[in-house]
Amino acid sequence: MTEDPRLASVKDWLLSRKPELADLDLDFDLIENRVIDSLSFLEFVFFLEELTGRELQATAETVNAFRSLHSIQKEILDGSL
Amino acid sequence: MPQTSTRTSSIEQTLDRIIGMSIDTYYNPYKTFQWPDELPEAQWWMSPGLMTVAGTPYAEELSETQLMALSKWESIHFYSLNVHGIRELLLEVVKRIHTPGFEKESEFFHHFVGEENEHMWFFATFCLKYGGKIYVDKKAKWAIDSVEPDIESLLVFSRILIFEEIVDYFNLRIGRDESLHPIIRQVNSIHHQDESRHITFGREIVKQLFDQLTPKHPQEKLQEVDQYLSRYLLASVQSLYSPAVYRDAGVPDPYRFRTELLEHPGRREHNAKILKRTVDFFTHNGIISEQADLR
Repeated sequence: MTEDPRLASVKDWLLSRKPELADLDLDFDLIENRVIDSLSFLEFVFFLEELTGRELQATAETVNAFRSLHSIQKEILDGSL
Repeated sequence: MPQTSTRTSSIEQTLDRIIGMSIDTYYNPYKTFQWPDELPEAQWWMSPGLMTVAGTPYAEELSETQLMALSKWESIHFYSLNVHGIRELLLEVVKRIHTPGFEKESEFFHHFVGEENEHMWFFATFCLKYGGKIYVDKKAKWAIDSVEPDIESLLVFSRILIFEEIVDYFNLRIGRDESLHPIIRQVNSIHHQDESRHITFGREIVKQLFDQLTPKHPQEKLQEVDQYLSRYLLASVQSLYSPAVYRDAGVPDPYRFRTELLEHPGRREHNAKILKRTVDFFTHNGIISEQADLR
């Protein structure tokens, strides 16, 4: 299956901030493994907003949407978060 | 240990002094402000030199009408950041009041919590009355970064101090700018008066907490604190640049606009100016290294 080019951009954005990682699996926990932390989260939200062309609802309840590339694809890129 | 006991007596003296000032200068915020029903759109809502376009070609290229609209939404966003920042600091201080380790500070915490609650009220009132909204807080609202309790307390009070010092940079200048509407000046100068006490306390407690934890943790841990706080300083100043604000002010591509501003050398200079006093405090006390890259 061809990868969504938007998901490839998300992966590039994350890897550019974590050069020690060679790649990211779809289910790799981005929060647990500190690919995203509290200080990079806002910039990540703005990046995703620019990519999707809409404002995101980033609340404590929606944290799981940001947890992996898989959930980002499902809830943010293809979903309506 | 001599250094710790000197700090202890220093914080006790500071607490006595600022508690006395809180009592002597207490005011009723619900009666202090005479809120006009509306404010004119065509005015500077904040000093032009404090806007995020200052020092860039946009300060010249945008029309005065566009810049005034931007000044309105930047000011509503600035007060919104205050509302959200105060909520976070109240939660953290309430979690610590009358708990072991904060016996001396708890009396002051009562004044602090009361005053911050009132600040939150007048900032929220301004946003809702003149902007019709409070900008949504999109920062991470869950505990991503777990650390030891003593390091956590240092980080909490450091974050509070950084937030208060950045805000105060703006409050002081807006409060003194005679070209601005009296209610805008009043909100900012009253906040500045109260925050001066909170900043004095913040500096004392951050120094004390850092002195207490340095003998207990390896150098590697202290370097993590240094890196975290350096990144926090940068993230705090970057949070002043909001795509939602640029959109409300009619900027066609708000995300690109934000990126351009953040990368502009003129803005880096302004950001360094906003943070200077705070960075000097943290480096002088050995909490962050002088090599910290805050551009």
